[in-house]
Amino acid sequence: MHRNLPQNKEALLKSYTTRLKEDIKSMLENFEEIIKLAKGERGESESQLNRMTQIEQDTFEMQVRAANIVRAGESLMKLVSDIKQYLILNDFPSVNEAITQNSKLFRTKQQECDQKLMSLRDDIAADLYDLEDEYFTSIYK
Amino acid sequence: MANSVNISIEAPIENQIQEITYDGQEIYQAPLSMSENLARLAQKIDFSKSDDEFCNVKKEGETSSDPKPDEDNKDAGYQSNQWPWESVRNKLRNALTEVCVLADVLNIAKEKRYMVLDPVQPEQVDNRPMVQVYGRKKALGAAAAVLLAGVERLRASENMRINRNMPDFHIDLLRLRQNWRLKKVSNTIVGDLSYRTAGSKFSQTGVFEVTKAPEEQMMQAMSLNAAGPAPSALRVTVPPELQGVAFISVLCQKEQEDVVTATLSSSALNCPGTLPGDGAELHWQQKLEAAQNVLFCKELFARLAAEAVQLDASIPHMVVGNQIMATVLPGIQLLIGLCHNNGQNNTNTNPEGVKSDGAAGKSDHDHVLEHSLHQLLRAVHYANTHHPFPHPATGPLGPSKRRCLAGPMAADRYELLDMSKEQSLLEQIIQQAQHFFMRRRSEYVLDTIAKEVKDPLIVSHWNALNSPTQSCVKINIMAYGYDAVCRTSLVVHVGEKTLKCICRDGKVRHLSYELQELRDLIYCQIYQHQMTAVQAVGRCMGWQLLASSAHLGSGPVEPLGNASSCLLASPNGDRMIAIRCEPSVGIQVFIAQSPRKDFFSSELVQDKKWENLGGAFKEIKLEKMEGKNFLNKMELLMACLSSPS
Repeated sequence: MHRNLPQNKEALLKSYTTRLKEDIKSMLENFEEIIKLAKGERGESESQLNRMTQIEQDTFEMQVRAANIVRAGESLMKLVSDIKQYLILNDFPSVNEAITQNSKLFRTKQQECDQKLMSLRDDIAADLYDLEDEYFTSIYK
Repeated sequence: MANSVNISIEAPIENQIQEITYDGQEIYQAPLSMSENLARLAQKIDFSKSDDEFCNVKKEGETSSDPKPDEDNKDAGYQSNQWPWESVRNKLRNALTEVCVLADVLNIAKEKRYMVLDPVQPEQVDNRPMVQVYGRKKALGAAAAVLLAGVERLRASENMRINRNMPDFHIDLLRLRQNWRLKKVSNTIVGDLSYRTAGSKFSQTGVFEVTKAPEEQMMQAMSLNAAGPAPSALRVTVPPELQGVAFISVLCQKEQEDVVTATLSSSALNCPGTLPGDGAELHWQQKLEAAQNVLFCKELFARLAAEAVQLDASIPHMVVGNQIMATVLPGIQLLIGLCHNNGQNNTNTNPEGVKSDGAAGKSDHDHVLEHSLHQLLRAVHYANTHHPFPHPATGPLGPSKRRCLAGPMAADRYELLDMSKEQSLLEQIIQQAQHFFMRRRSEYVLDTIAKEVKDPLIVSHWNALNSPTQSCVKINIMAYGYDAVCRTSLVVHVGEKTLKCICRDGKVRHLSYELQELRDLIYCQIYQHQMTAVQAVGRCMGWQLLASSAHLGSGPVEPLGNASSCLLASPNGDRMIAIRCEPSVGIQVFIAQSPRKDFFSSELVQDKKWENLGGAFKEIKLEKMEGKNFLNKMELLMACLSSPS
């Protein structure tokens, strides 16, 4: 469905997509790198370092990559929250529906109130007539 | 071949032109000799570009045997040093050295006399595999811990929301969005609470900001009232000029004494927003509603103040600070004040309102005028957005309904001018206040007359159907027990500054706002009623109406109305009752009878027949008679006089 969205809205939506892709890509890449490190595929041949140093470096790199995965996950949560917010703020059909519903509700409420007030007024007017009659014909005034 | 043409064929120039002299003669370079050509071609061969050993070896073989001139030429190309074959000689010497060394090494290896070649053990690569495994295990463990910590954090926040019933920001935001206008400006969510979309043209903006409530505060609020409603995850920030509670107080003052105190939205006084410091915990809906109310009151007051300055009334309206003073009726003022209590400094901007609140208490609060003010401004808003059809679909402007009809109805200039006049809010509210006073006064007059006058009963019925500037009362004048015989009714329309009385005889009287006029009119009606009622009773009793006059010319001049009288005769004609009614004096009743009892033949009137003429009228002391009221007394009197004596 193509809609004529304003330029900045379009850009925003695109940025959401790119954020999603980037985060997922980052998760995947980091995970792959961790697996590679665990397999020890990398750095065997040209390893010039001391073995212990190499192990330490791998450990550190794995931690950083794990932290990157976590960061990407939280960024995804933020993205979900942003998309929710965007949807809430820009979902005009649902807002219109809510407004229609509200106005319908208030209209029925108003009608109810009006009817009640009318019947109340009629009752009071009838009673007032009787009371006025009674009051003005009595000797206590 | 007669026409054959001689074609001279020339061999192409094989040699390069070295120089062209000025006379066009070309000097050619001498062609290269065979050895020179070889050197040139050999120069082009790149001996270093060889990819396999075999080729190298072959080349080496070649170089060793023959290609001296090649190397020579190549080197001569690159370095035109002193001797063209020098580099070739250098290379050959190097090669010779290497071959010699190789031969020595081979000899040594072969001889095994001085030296033995042993294979060298390569460095142990996987000498300690467990260290690596442990290292990787540790590394994976650390990475897993980082991942688990991240997961734990996400899960904890999710659990907290679910288990502890924490309000969700987005659900709250959705509810807010359904009720208020919101939009996102860069990183903040901004809302609008003004009445612009409803047709308001007030310049002040009602922008508020929506933020997420800090979690600690939510936890605190939840722990404080666990049973109460869950605190909102939203925090709404309202501009300081819209904070707190505002209301418009409408006061009607008589001289300096308060008659009526009406406060606009005095119910908002009980709103918790008035309590300072409590504003933070207020739910956003209430907070926004309060702010909207403040905005509305400000708009209302600003509009009223502008109108008060523009209107040129006979007694000019005054606008002082947050107060508007307008004269409703002579001696009565309408005070409209804007009270805004914005929480921080608990100072009320309208000291008068506070004083009257304190003095009169809440019992005097009348919500009618405040409500009318609200209604009037809302009607203005409505008119701003709802234009009568037909109007252009794109433009908000269109002629009013009356103006649409003006053409077909052939309205003249005055009618059109009349249409262009619009009543301002202030005028309308003043009219309503005037009407309010007129109604109060009429009620008061009618009630006091009903109290003062006991004999004919004065029953007033207020009509339930009325408008803010018009109401109607029906007055019945009748005597107790005789309401079927005669009743006088009149209708009084109470307007803004005038009263319109429609009497029983269809006469319409317009009265001013002075009370005395109504009072006089009712009194006249009472005495008129008494006269007609007596006649009606007489008719019921079989008495004859001899004469009646509503406006007697005799007697002293009455301050209001005229005296009226009537003369009734008994069925057999021997008794007569004369009644005279003067509003200032009251009712006097006289009787006469014929034949007169005190007829004595005199020298002038000797004949007996003259006793039937009827004698002098004697006044009856009504107050000493029996009977509940005047008509009852008259009935008794007539009954008494009808019986044959």
